[in-house]
Amino acid sequence: MAYVETNPMAYRERIAWLSLIAMAVTFGPYFTVMALSPPTAPLPDLGTMGWFALTVGCQAVILAVGHGVLRWRHAADARAPADERDRAISRRSLGAAYYVLIAGVILVGCVMPFQSAGWRLINAAVAAIVLAEVVRYGVAAYCYRRGFHG
Amino acid sequence: MARHPAIANRVRTLRLLAGEMTQAELGERIGVTRQTIAAIEAGKYSPTLEAAFRIAEVFGKRLDEVFCWLADGGEASAAWRESGRD
Repeated sequence: MAYVETNPMAYRERIAWLSLIAMAVTFGPYFTVMALSPPTAPLPDLGTMGWFALTVGCQAVILAVGHGVLRWRHAADARAPADERDRAISRRSLGAAYYVLIAGVILVGCVMPFQSAGWRLINAAVAAIVLAEVVRYGVAAYCYRRGFHG
Repeated sequence: MARHPAIANRVRTLRLLAGEMTQAELGERIGVTRQTIAAIEAGKYSPTLEAAFRIAEVFGKRLDEVFCWLADGGEASAAWRESGRD
């Protein structure tokens, strides 16, 4: 029956899950490697820089392929502009991520410089950005899945 | 975030009565995606006042015939439930 339709996944929810997966499979291993064997060589330390470039490159490839597949499989949904629910969830998720990013900026920019330097500082800044993005897409996926009432 | 919905609705029933209108058709008429209509019907999203008025207009109903505020997260009033039995 046409009128009974299940709860389909919104296009922007798919994008949120894709972004979370891309971050998990790229920055997850990157930070694991950095935690297990912290870089000790003086800056610029091309080896660590190579790891970072590889991580960012892999994330870009995953996102590009993922977006392409989603646009191909859900062409109509991809073309549709964001509606009021998409915008409300976006505001909510960006608001949550903002506080995480601000906390990261305070930690990396105001506290850590007195104790750390080099790649430790750089990785802390990258971690703050990644964590803020995880919160942004995580909150969005949660709101789409579990419901959002403004 | 995902708290108990404070607004009940009978959008799905009204779609059925309107010639089995699809979620996509209703969404197109009020300017939202079919996923948002599905979320409204499932009680996972409370639409803006403007969208609520548009939905009511599509079905030729008053706003309070389509949506009902659940005081303190309780159940819809008996009067509202009764009004849907026409």
